[in-house]
Amino acid sequence: MRVIVCVTQILDPEIPPGEFRLNAERTAAAEGIGQLVMSIFDENAVEVALQLRERMIEREPVEVIALTVGPPSAADVLRRALSLRADRAILISSEGGPVLDGVVVASLLKAAVERLHPVDLVLCGRETGDWHGGQVGSFLAEALGWTCVTFVSRIEATDGGFLMRRQSDEGWEIVWAARPAVATITNEETNVPRLPKVRDTMLAARAPIPMWTIPELVSDVTGLWGANGRLQVRELVIPGTSKACEWIEGETVTEKAVHLVRALRERRIL
Amino acid sequence: MRVILVVLPTPEVGRSEREAIGAARALATAFAGEVNVALVGPAAESVAERPERAGLTLEASANARTFFIAHPMLRGYAPELYVSALEQLLATVRPDVILFPGRTIALEIAPRLAYRLGAAMVTDVIGLQAEDGAVVITKPVYGGKAHAMLVASRPPVVVCVRPRAFDPIEGEIVGGDTTWVEVALDPSLERTRLLERIQEESATGTALEEAQIVVSGGRGIGGPEGFRLLEELARWLGGAVGASRAACDAGWVPASWQIGQTGKKVAPDLYLAVGISGASQHVVGISRAKCIVAINTDPHAPIFKVADLGIVEAYENIIPVLIEEVKRLRVAGKA
Ligand SMILES: Cc1cc2nc3c(=O)[nH]c(=O)nc-3n(C[C@H](O)[C@H](O)[C@H](O)COP(=O)(O)OP(=O)(O)OC[C@H]3O[C@@H](n4cnc5c(N)ncnc54)[C@H](O)[C@@H]3O)c2cc1C
Ligand SMILES: Nc1ncnc2c1ncn2[C@@H]1O[C@H](COP(=O)(O)O)[C@@H](O)[C@H]1O
Repeated sequence: MRVIVCVTQILDPEIPPGEFRLNAERTAAAEGIGQLVMSIFDENAVEVALQLRERMIEREPVEVIALTVGPPSAADVLRRALSLRADRAILISSEGGPVLDGVVVASLLKAAVERLHPVDLVLCGRETGDWHGGQVGSFLAEALGWTCVTFVSRIEATDGGFLMRRQSDEGWEIVWAARPAVATITNEETNVPRLPKVRDTMLAARAPIPMWTIPELVSDVTGLWGANGRLQVRELVIPGTSKACEWIEGETVTEKAVHLVRALRERRIL
Repeated sequence: MRVILVVLPTPEVGRSEREAIGAARALATAFAGEVNVALVGPAAESVAERPERAGLTLEASANARTFFIAHPMLRGYAPELYVSALEQLLATVRPDVILFPGRTIALEIAPRLAYRLGAAMVTDVIGLQAEDGAVVITKPVYGGKAHAMLVASRPPVVVCVRPRAFDPIEGEIVGGDTTWVEVALDPSLERTRLLERIQEESATGTALEEAQIVVSGGRGIGGPEGFRLLEELARWLGGAVGASRAACDAGWVPASWQIGQTGKKVAPDLYLAVGISGASQHVVGISRAKCIVAINTDPHAPIFKVADLGIVEAYENIIPVLIEEVKRLRVAGKA
């Protein structure tokens, strides 16, 4: 069975708001204000793929392949996937191509998935940690004409399909999905990303990473350009957040609790 | 005349659905456009029968239409069938803006529909403005550290609104010009099957998203036992318990309690953040809370930058005392 995990490189989402700045055009975050990391739900997706491989060990070999679309420097997230023991990783170079919107990325991923035929399962994050698009996985499933299940936290293989645990607004649903399928992954206690071993990180740092170019993947590059430009980023603004926090003090915890209740009553909340 | 279509694919019309209609109304006013509502699946039948139960009134009003799409196969989880049904509706109706509520099933259907329509698509929308005939769409990016203003250069554009970002309509009139739309659904399209539904109950019986008071815990709570304390406090306050992603990922509480960018969005009168550092991705889920109280051992925790009231204290020390104070207040209130 062949499982593909689509991973993205983003600005570290945990940088404090105080360090966040925009670029000169005000169209994105400024470069260099933080580290570049693998998007958080893609880490969960890698974990789901690795666990599936581990559970299948007696039944069927599972090959886990990480894919990313981006500049050559995005190879870092593929090395991260390799250090976690993905079997292979391929960089789809976006150099010279159109601006990467959801449709462009999905078109390139589709071409790569077809080139890796036969593929049984593709995993994406539910959304990236920078632009929170929440669409590439669904677009990809549509482009491939495959089954799609979103907000999935665990996957089991069954005959002809997969059992997926899907998060709903009220709890969870167990959904059977026909093979081949795309799933978008959300976080749960069972898919918290593992940490790589030092030795695997060293091996991954030296591993050769094949690179596929856009012309290799799609014949109609102008068609790809044409898909773009449906949305223009006019401007990013940084919202004002700081409030003046009123500190509730007291000599003892009881005093603090009493003062808090009083403050809430004064505000007519209690 | 601009046409805005609100698509409601959830079995029930709740607050998030009424917010989506509210967002559409506001945009339509700016555009001098019309708002159409499409109810797909079980909600079509229940609203057609008893609109008042969904907080809606169906009454003849100029240029506002309601589409009902019901079909025996549109039950439970079957996103591919919902997409197919909507595609059939959109072969005849040509909206400029297609609006979905921010529910998980809507977030699943919307991008697939957008892809088929060749439409631009934006999730997590907190602002919609009409400007020289174009729609300017605002959404938080970088975990809420910035807001992006996007312009859709050509219609249609598919938008999923973020829960608790727009005012819901309350008992208002929805287009009384109703149409039952016949759809043909091919059983071979069905590539998924719902096998089981696992409901996760809220600890106190009060639904998180509707609660007027939310007591929320983070990594600082240290384990599931600490959450029992928060539950007791929430019960005395008549509220619900929420959590940060860190607490959910640790397995201390169910994932459906998560509040934030990728969890529930809440807008209570009182939000008590206990042992939560206040990462932007958490704070975006509580931006509409009226009063935020933070309890944290670290006076420099970012949560104090968004809190109205702050207490620097270990939760183990203060929560039991706070429970006693609230108890006293409640018992006195009853006497
Ligand atoms: C794309 C994306 C989406 C995300 N979505 C969400 C989301 O929906 N919701 C969410 O919450 N997070 C989300 N996150 C994660 C978020 O960035 C933070 O990692 C997370 O919110 C941190 O949780 P925390 O505040 O509980 O933990 P920490 O940041 O570790 O904070 C724990 C706090 O507890 C305090 N503390 C410790 N001991 C005590 C004590 N005894 N008493 C009182 N206080 C104590 C500490 O001082 C500290 O401030 C998302 C991240 C990304 C990248
Ligand atoms: N450039 C990319 N390369 C590979 N996968 C991507 C890329 N962009 C998005 N994805 C995948 O699609 C998911 C959702 O992205 P988005 O729809 O942009 O929020 C991500 O979590 C990834 O799994």
